Amino acid sequence: MTEFIKRLLKTPQGAIGTFLVVLVLAIVVFGPMVAPYDPEKLSPLARYKGPSMMYWLGTDQYGRDIFSRLLIGARATVVMAVLATIAGTLIGALIGTASAFLGGRADELIMRTIDAVMSIPSLLFALLVVNLLGSSTVNALVAVAIAFAPGMARITRSVALSVRKQDYVNAAIARGESSAYIIRREMLPNVIAPIIVEMTIRVSFAVMLFATLSFLGLGAQPPAAEWGLMVSEARRYMHLSAGILIWPSVAIAIVAVGFNLLGDGLRDALNPRT
Amino acid sequence: MIVYTLLVVSLIVFAITQILPADAAVMMLGENATPEALDALRQTMGLDAPIWQQYATWLWHVVQGDLGTSLRTGQPVGPAMFEALGRSLLLALFSIGLMLVLAIPLGIIAAIRRGKIADMVVSLVSYAGVALPEFVTATIAVLLFADWMKWLPPTGYVPLTDNFLDGISHLVLPVCVISIILIAHVSRMVRSELVDVLHTDYIRAARLKGLSRGHVLRRHALRNALLPTITIVALDVGYLLGGVIVVEEIFAIPGIGRQLIVAIQARDLPAIQAGVLIMAATYSIVNFIADILYAWLDKRIQYD
Amino acid sequence: MTNTENKPVLAIENYSLDYGTANGPYHALKNIDLAIHRGEILGLVGESGSGKTSLAWSIMRYLPKNAREPGGRILLGGDNLLDKSERQMEAIRGRRISMVFQDPSTSLNPTLSLGTQLAEVLMRHRGLSRQQAWKEGEERLAHVGLKTPAQMMNRMPHEVSGGEKQRVVIASAFACNPECIIFDEPTTALDVITSRQILDLFVELQAETGVASLYISHDLALVARTASRVAVIKRGDIVEQGTVRDIFTNPQQDYTRELIDAVPDPAHRLVTEDVVVAEKPLVKVENVSVHFGRKSFLAALTGKKTDRVTGNNAISLSVNPGEILGIVGESGSGKSTLAKAMTGLNRFEGKIWFDGREIRHLGDMDNAYRKDVQIIFQHPDASLNPRQKIFEILSRPLKLFGDGSDLEKQVGDMLEQVRLPRTHANRYPHQLSGGEKQRVAIARAFASKPKLVICDEITSALDVSVQASVVELLLELQKASGTAYLFITHDLNLIRQIAHRIAVMYRGDLIEVVKADEIDSPDRADYTRRLIEAVPRAAAQFQ
Repeated sequence: MTEFIKRLLKTPQGAIGTFLVVLVLAIVVFGPMVAPYDPEKLSPLARYKGPSMMYWLGTDQYGRDIFSRLLIGARATVVMAVLATIAGTLIGALIGTASAFLGGRADELIMRTIDAVMSIPSLLFALLVVNLLGSSTVNALVAVAIAFAPGMARITRSVALSVRKQDYVNAAIARGESSAYIIRREMLPNVIAPIIVEMTIRVSFAVMLFATLSFLGLGAQPPAAEWGLMVSEARRYMHLSAGILIWPSVAIAIVAVGFNLLGDGLRDALNPRT
Repeated sequence: MIVYTLLVVSLIVFAITQILPADAAVMMLGENATPEALDALRQTMGLDAPIWQQYATWLWHVVQGDLGTSLRTGQPVGPAMFEALGRSLLLALFSIGLMLVLAIPLGIIAAIRRGKIADMVVSLVSYAGVALPEFVTATIAVLLFADWMKWLPPTGYVPLTDNFLDGISHLVLPVCVISIILIAHVSRMVRSELVDVLHTDYIRAARLKGLSRGHVLRRHALRNALLPTITIVALDVGYLLGGVIVVEEIFAIPGIGRQLIVAIQARDLPAIQAGVLIMAATYSIVNFIADILYAWLDKRIQYD
Repeated sequence: MTNTENKPVLAIENYSLDYGTANGPYHALKNIDLAIHRGEILGLVGESGSGKTSLAWSIMRYLPKNAREPGGRILLGGDNLLDKSERQMEAIRGRRISMVFQDPSTSLNPTLSLGTQLAEVLMRHRGLSRQQAWKEGEERLAHVGLKTPAQMMNRMPHEVSGGEKQRVVIASAFACNPECIIFDEPTTALDVITSRQILDLFVELQAETGVASLYISHDLALVARTASRVAVIKRGDIVEQGTVRDIFTNPQQDYTRELIDAVPDPAHRLVTEDVVVAEKPLVKVENVSVHFGRKSFLAALTGKKTDRVTGNNAISLSVNPGEILGIVGESGSGKSTLAKAMTGLNRFEGKIWFDGREIRHLGDMDNAYRKDVQIIFQHPDASLNPRQKIFEILSRPLKLFGDGSDLEKQVGDMLEQVRLPRTHANRYPHQLSGGEKQRVAIARAFASKPKLVICDEITSALDVSVQASVVELLLELQKASGTAYLFITHDLNLIRQIAHRIAVMYRGDLIEVVKADEIDSPDRADYTRRLIEAVPRAAAQFQ
């Protein structure tokens, strides 16, 4: 384990990515405890203030402390994004592996169907699903998960196929191993690594998709402190105080870049040959 | 292949919209309508038939060019959608154009100056580009260029046929916003492809024949590196269609994305179905054309 | 500047090369002294990691960024190349010194026609116009033995064979009448017969133009046929230099002797002849055919016919208990296909009889069959699961086919049997060398004490010296256990040393099966005779 962490921190992407993601996770876990103010506390007298000793990042249109809102909102944005990505990956991985394993006509059929589903832009797909289920954070999570599943299915299938071609899988077949054994012990350990890399990078897309949904009013609802929602609300007041817009944007960017870099770092660290 | 795609898409769209709790009749007549009136309307609209029959009827109409009637406006869905599509395509074309003009040179520069400052700058820019969702970039862009510096109009759409310059000025911000992520993505791809090509044996062999760097780049490397770009761009059209939705919403451009949002919020089923179908069809057609283009340009590929 | 016969065309004097790595400088070349005169072919022989390819890049001045040159000179006709700027080198490369590479399918740009790639050299260095260069290109192609030069100019690389591509590359190298040409393993990627033809072409052209040639190879036998002088390089040092005759008849250094001994010599048999041809063979392959290609979804819908490629065409052969049957053929002959069919990795038609049982398809291959029939693959990197430790890899067959008790001891014994330390059990495959990995693969195969072991080109990816020790190991194991081998290879010399009988395959057909010592009799089939003739045999000419 320590060996792995050392490798991860060796590359600049791995180091920066890990740092950012750990920071974000820390905020997710400890944010609410550390936040100096109640995110929903309105202070009509303290509206549109810039950064100061009292309000580290200033206040928004209702006088709420932006810093506290960011800390709280981390949960809504990041946790949901991570969960959605994991869910989407699991569904997609199942479909992709099954398709690769079945091979032949079944595989072709499944893949053509996946291609067809992927011709609907993921945002649109998520919009439809949310529209179907109603606007809320949990429904948005489901929507994002379903929107990501086909892409992950494709990737899983392609990784599974390339692993399948390796001689060590052939050696296992020549030993008469059962399919279950081959999938579990020979293929899966070699398939998981690239999937984890891809999944990590997808979290950044999930964060953005989630924020976009909230922005359009179809994800988290006010007065939640979700970052996308904060940007949406900020539109009307940004000429009064740019901070209302800037800080949540920066937060989104940090999370997105962090997971992106971490994914790149993991790619190198998990490669057994280097 | 396209046919199969569209069939599946139509099925999905139809299925999703059919599971909606509120049904069309209630929407049209309101919550307080009498059950008899509702039933009568349902009969006329064919909503009492089994689902697969509704699907078949709808599909039959679509094939003939009739995309249904909007529940919101009462007008045929088709013409409005296609007109809106036209505007979105304009936006998309400008965005792709801007992207090609910027992303390809950036990618090339980053590849040939690999590891040096120019490469890092381009890398940084592309990382930054993918770090922000469109709505953030759009909002900041409006803040910066429309509110503060007052260089460009904030929102709204002016058809180019009415007033060319004014129309263009309204398009500048939306196009730039959409392009940013495209540029970030494509320049990264171009860089990565070119770096791979520059490390191949045949490039090395060409250099060892005494051919200059410039000659090798222009006549050997670029053609091989840029070919896959076509595929990437085609795939990115998928992202484009999604980004268009948000951008049109923010900049109040009456394109197909806007139409869809309005339709979704109003639960206008026929419009939703038609809109999604059109988007999916556009994507499929673009990819199909890209595949043909690729195959024609690359004499290596043999389809089995 | 006069170039007298005595002054070398290419002189490397006390040249050293380092690569800067994270762990300090890596000394790739140490104080190299070489000289090639006009009309001479100098062979440079070394195994992988010896630095022979680095030397080629140094001469051409095409080194990676982390290369450092602590000292020495490289003189081409008296000019020190180390003093040249990149611009000046661009004028020199292709004109005064050129290079022929190993694999023509990767050293030619797949999206440009052959003619374009040949003409551009002429246009660059001789200032010809496109039409002139094209015409001259055609002449050059005719000169290297291509039958339809005009059409060849317009062909794309993927449309022609490996041999034809290499001829085009050679034509480009000779195009500007250089003073010196470097040949970097130009026949390694080619078939045996094609290799021979290319080699003959090279010798012919070299004699005609008198160009000073550096012929780099790992194959000592090959070099002996072509070069007049040989230099042996090991880990960046020139171990020994001299005329071919001297080196072969009187090698001074141990390493040279090792290399010479490692070269398979068909006259030097390694097995005894006493294999009883039992009435009932161990394995009998009867009319086995393998076809590839299946109808795609759409083709099935539309009723289109698709081409099916035949991997094996009604092959019938048998292996006796304890016998070593060699299967030789060029790539595409179907030898690996047959091996895969026999282990259930390919679908086949026909019958396989094993130990009295009839096998018709994968389902018939039960645990007993698996225990008795094992296979070892060509690439040691790919045949061991990179995420499993050696212990796990080796204990699996023990659990399946043997007794699962005291696995640690058994695995340790297995490792010792293949001459690896017991502690390797705790390592991962990427921590082992290619030869060591292959030994693990052999241990894995022998774990179940099989009756038949199929060796699918298991030495082709290894260095010559490693190959020799692996073969030695195999023969030891065979003597101890009486296992039969189906030994697949394209190396005819090797198989003549170790096989009892040899089967020759060509394009999916079995040409003939003969006893090893009868393989070079004039009664053999046409293809077999051509194959024998094409293979260089170093030792023969010096005995």
